[in-house]
Amino acid sequence: MSYVRSVIASIRVGWSRDFGWTNPILGFSLKTIAPIASTMTALTILYIGFRNGALITPDEFPYQLGLIIIGATLYAHISAYSWVPTLAIAEGKWTFVFPQVYVSTRSSPPYLAGRCLASFASSTVTSTASLAIAAVISLFLFGVAIPLVVTPVSVLLFGIALAVNIFASMGLGFLLGAYAIFASKFEWALPTYVSGLLMVFSGALFPVTSLPTPFSNIGDVLPFTEFIRASRAILLDGTVGPYFYYLGLSFVGGIILLALGLLAFKYAEQRARRLGVLDRKVV
Amino acid sequence: MNPRASIWLKTVYARTWVRTKSIYGEPLWVAVNVGFPFFTSLALSLLYSSVGLKSGIGFAFLGGVMVSFWGNVLWSMASQFNWDKQQGLFELYITSPAPISAILIGMSLGGILGTAPSAITLAIVGWVLFAPPANPLWPLVALTFALTLASLYAMGMALSSLYLVYGREADSVNEALHEPVSFLSGVYFPASLAFPAALQAIALVIPLAVGMDALQRTLFSLNASGVADLSLVYRDILLLAMMGIILLFAASKALKILEEKGRRAGTIAVRLR
Repeated sequence: MSYVRSVIASIRVGWSRDFGWTNPILGFSLKTIAPIASTMTALTILYIGFRNGALITPDEFPYQLGLIIIGATLYAHISAYSWVPTLAIAEGKWTFVFPQVYVSTRSSPPYLAGRCLASFASSTVTSTASLAIAAVISLFLFGVAIPLVVTPVSVLLFGIALAVNIFASMGLGFLLGAYAIFASKFEWALPTYVSGLLMVFSGALFPVTSLPTPFSNIGDVLPFTEFIRASRAILLDGTVGPYFYYLGLSFVGGIILLALGLLAFKYAEQRARRLGVLDRKVV
Repeated sequence: MNPRASIWLKTVYARTWVRTKSIYGEPLWVAVNVGFPFFTSLALSLLYSSVGLKSGIGFAFLGGVMVSFWGNVLWSMASQFNWDKQQGLFELYITSPAPISAILIGMSLGGILGTAPSAITLAIVGWVLFAPPANPLWPLVALTFALTLASLYAMGMALSSLYLVYGREADSVNEALHEPVSFLSGVYFPASLAFPAALQAIALVIPLAVGMDALQRTLFSLNASGVADLSLVYRDILLLAMMGIILLFAASKALKILEEKGRRAGTIAVRLR
């Protein structure tokens, strides 16, 4: 029970950190602008390719826009909250919050999980809003309506997919957090690299099959790739069978990644306690 | 030499040296800075390839190079005084005889020198990996690149004076500005091929947009004939030069006003608000 209370308290800390400096509407608006713009960048490149290339026919173009809009917004969603544990540790060392957390027994994992969940909740709102707004902008800019399947069932199943992806993103967060405990500088660099790698390997902007082997195989088994595929299956194709197939793969991959992340974090935290580096400041 | 000019130049040199040394003294910075622009450029290059437009790969990597500088302007120019305030450095600046404008110029020069290695690395990697087709007019490329950086960093100076009045919101404003300005500027794609004329006209108030247009025209021609439209390039060069001068003037004025106001209200060195 104390774990649940710690997680809930940490969620409140996370929201306070993200939105405490302003009113929630302004805070959410500022956080929504960036994913809209990055999604529009990818859509615009597709549009230029459609107008000047020879691979996309006019009939295929709306569907291709749909593939990119879902991939780009969900990539932004994943990268927005999977590096939160690293941020919480690095920033926490500076502001002396993290030493206050770790002095109590087994308190870091629920704290980081809570911060991650807080960011997940706000990122869910901003990425869903950015998906909707980018679809409207595309209509005005390219004159094409994206054939998204928006029904109560598809929205519900999309929500379930978002929830299932928490395992994988949190697992990645704990893995990066294990590194952040020891980092004394450039603590933000590894998450940035991992985020960049995800852009290439998650199939967000182009099919992973276009990557050379073995890179395409790596991208193919990532839970994030399966999550994006499941979301596309339900929001674009409206097919339930493939949705559950990809979601199942994402769930299994996410559980494995979470277990690995927690193990790595536990080992790193114990070692850091022994070495006395848990409160070493990032410089 | 005039003592005021001497102090000004010494301050520029000192601030340039500190910023340059902080980058070159830690070679890992290059690897760190090149990461995200590289993966973004790589992903967008593969997107260009997947839509059958391999000739667009050059835009993706040119965008990565310019985003390195744009990121530097936002995070290491615009919000720098804010961080300096939090660390107590800003109090030293305002109590010393060093002119703030010289500190900002030094920061800009150091920022350009410090970002150059990662930008060059990215350009080389992109060229080696994809060899994108280019038709460069090198003297014009050099001129537009220099003017783009000058006006971009002048904008950074203007923003830094604005950020002096901000507290914790500076980071969030930076995050909110980075991507939309990149998108409107057509950093990773030629805006002239995608945006309606009205949107292109609006984007012309952003130095990065004007610079990207000129760089894309001088490096990749942008015409089916393979010859760059030089009249548009000269228009961009003129705009960039004007923007640089106006923004420098605006930055200097804004700094003086905000410094005066901050001194009178006693809030200029307040660390957290």
